[in-house]
Amino acid sequence: MIDDLTAAREQMELSLSFHIVFAVLGVGMPWLMLAAEWRGLRTGDPRWTALARRWSKAVAVLFAVGAVSGTVLSIEFGLLWPVFMARFGSAIGLSFTLESFAFFIEAIFLALYLYGWNRLSPRVHLLTAVPVALSGMASALFVTTANAWMNGPVGLVTGPTGGLVATEPLGPFLAPTAGPQMVHMGLAALMCTGLAVAAVYAFAMLRDPARRNGYHRRGLAAGALLGLTCAPLQVLVGDWATRVVADVQPAKFAAMESLPRTVDGAPFHAGPFEIPNALSLLLHFDPDARVVGMDAIAPPDRPPVAVVHWSFQLMAGIGTALLALAAWALWLYLRHRRAVAAGRAEAAGAVVAGRARRAAGAVHPTDRRAFLLAMVVAGPAPFVALLAGWIVTEVGRQPWIVYRVMRVPEALTSQTGLATYLYATALIYLVLAVALVAILRRIARGATPPDPTPSTPARDEVAA
Amino acid sequence: MTAVDGLGLVIFVGLAAYTVLGGADFGAGLWDLSRDRAQRDLVARAMAPVWEANHVWLIFVVITLFTGFPGAFGALSRALVAPVSVALLGIVLRGAAFVFRQYGGSHDTHDTHDTHDTHDTHDTDDTDDTDGSSGAGRPVRGTALWGRVFAISSLVTPFAFGTAAGALALGTLRADGSAGLWAPYLAPLPLLAGLLAVTCCAYLAAVYLSRDAERIESPALVARFRRRALSTGVLAGGLALAALPLLPPALGGALRGVGLPAVLVSATGGVLGLVLLWRRRHGLARIAAACAPVGLLAGWALGVYPWVLPGQLLLAESAAPPVIAGPVLIVLLSGLAVVAPSYVFMLRVLRAGAD
Repeated sequence: MIDDLTAAREQMELSLSFHIVFAVLGVGMPWLMLAAEWRGLRTGDPRWTALARRWSKAVAVLFAVGAVSGTVLSIEFGLLWPVFMARFGSAIGLSFTLESFAFFIEAIFLALYLYGWNRLSPRVHLLTAVPVALSGMASALFVTTANAWMNGPVGLVTGPTGGLVATEPLGPFLAPTAGPQMVHMGLAALMCTGLAVAAVYAFAMLRDPARRNGYHRRGLAAGALLGLTCAPLQVLVGDWATRVVADVQPAKFAAMESLPRTVDGAPFHAGPFEIPNALSLLLHFDPDARVVGMDAIAPPDRPPVAVVHWSFQLMAGIGTALLALAAWALWLYLRHRRAVAAGRAEAAGAVVAGRARRAAGAVHPTDRRAFLLAMVVAGPAPFVALLAGWIVTEVGRQPWIVYRVMRVPEALTSQTGLATYLYATALIYLVLAVALVAILRRIARGATPPDPTPSTPARDEVAA
Repeated sequence: MTAVDGLGLVIFVGLAAYTVLGGADFGAGLWDLSRDRAQRDLVARAMAPVWEANHVWLIFVVITLFTGFPGAFGALSRALVAPVSVALLGIVLRGAAFVFRQYGGSHDTHDTHDTHDTHDTHDTDDTDDTDGSSGAGRPVRGTALWGRVFAISSLVTPFAFGTAAGALALGTLRADGSAGLWAPYLAPLPLLAGLLAVTCCAYLAAVYLSRDAERIESPALVARFRRRALSTGVLAGGLALAALPLLPPALGGALRGVGLPAVLVSATGGVLGLVLLWRRRHGLARIAAACAPVGLLAGWALGVYPWVLPGQLLLAESAAPPVIAGPVLIVLLSGLAVVAPSYVFMLRVLRAGAD
């Protein structure tokens, strides 16, 4: 049996991981659903509308699972860490209060969206998806600020009884890491959703070439566009977030970069490679700048280095790989578009040079096995990066639950037998995850609208 | 009235909303435990659009409690580990099971029963008609089992919450959890309170469903739910009366004093609800019926007040500093001013006559 402190921490990790994986889909999917319905309305293309309807069912299931697993978290804070909540519940309260209203709005308008297809005019129906998408994103960002406050508490003063008292209702929003954490999380949700959706259609098209039709191409295009557009932005935001961490949480940063000693002119490690002075240059734009290492941190205040370091490397590695995938996808798309345009000019009688090369480019990206395979692999990748990123944030803050204010063991409940609690939770979440995946697969199955008759194939090719 | 009092009031309003709206959803889950397809379809149709918004009231109460009264939240989290954990299990399974059942089932056998119902039951999942997936065939394995899980977890959750309220009223809980994990709940009053909570949920749901059955013009279901509303209503009243002699003297005294209006609201609502049901005024009966548990809850809250844990922890002592309470109260009231009309708008649109 593991001890209660470990069990409580594992339980938190399990509940958060489960919630995050499904909640990011609940945050991102409404944006895709909104875009697809809008395209369907604008172009009259039934395939977009069919995608919107199909996705709305996935949103319904994901929102329900996100809602109940989120409830578990809000109550678990108290069950596992009552001392933390009793002292700092009001400090992070406004984040959660705002989140609860975002949640209300999302639930209400999602109901209108899901059950209003035939009761609202198409335009009004489309509009009901706007508050769903906005409030879904808002609730994720609000909750992230509560975590930012734990990474950099602001607004605490010593009260009359000697303990720290929260005096700043906006504390979570004023925390130094709030900005980068919110943007990083929001982009991560969109990236995960986009690439997961694209992977579903890439997988279907890879397995059955007959499915390389307009419906599946649109599904892949919408997901890939969302996910891959976020990839370069996420690299920039990740850089921003790292700089802020280096400034305000030197222990976490030393663990991320695995820096045992404070040095002037720190080298940068990328996998097995070491570039001299590069870390100092990257952080402070000065190759000889001082970078704080773990030796500057008192031994009882040091986070575990290996987990944080390798999680950070994994996240950064996946981010870089997705950036490369985005570049490749863009190149394939542009080449294809040029080839199609040239093909059309040729059909109109123009003389075009380099016909053979253009013909090769005319292969639609989704007719390339390698591209489809890459998109399938890219589906789970951002989720791995997401979880790794949260491990960096949470394990990197250890041994503190509130940075430099309260240690994790001080916050723990006096209830014993938490290991049993952990195993029961793990079992239930396993069953739920299996059932959820089965339901989502069922939603993905089924007939899809056919492509229009060959009178307009060229237009279809371009749009896809 | 200070901002802290305001927060206390908002928490009560949230609890009352959760009792009346969320409670009816749990009750509907109980009535799902039936072999009759038309009845289960009515339950699904009534719950599907609203249960998530109704569930948010619980999250709202939890969040407002730890924001406004962090000390109380810490103490309650420590004292109520057992019933809250059971309720949490029920909440997770109920919510997940409901959507799994809704989206995992085979939709093409959905409306082979009561021809009257066809039109209406179908629009719960009308997305299927149009994208052609209704022929997608067999339900996901285990969907029938999720239906059972849904019904059973709908029973367990209100029972657990009821025992928690009962134990709080009894005053046997300790802020450090030293009263034991299970022991404080295995007393007559908490167990009776658990049963009372389940019965109230079943009653509320039956009253609401009798009105919903009227709307889809299914006389058989109207008659069945009317009968059930009458019997569970009488049972709930009986259980509430049976709990009175079990109450600790202080709480009993409070109910004859400051809590008397609440008791009267509850009793009047209960009796009036039954009379209106008897006279087949199902629309009005819903309002009267909702007053009964709300009055009960108000009586309980006034009886326990000013304590959180009687004799242990005062609500005022556990409050957030006023500098936090004020702005949070403003955010809460502004938020409710947006949410309430949105909720009513949603009900109006979705309850309007089927297209």
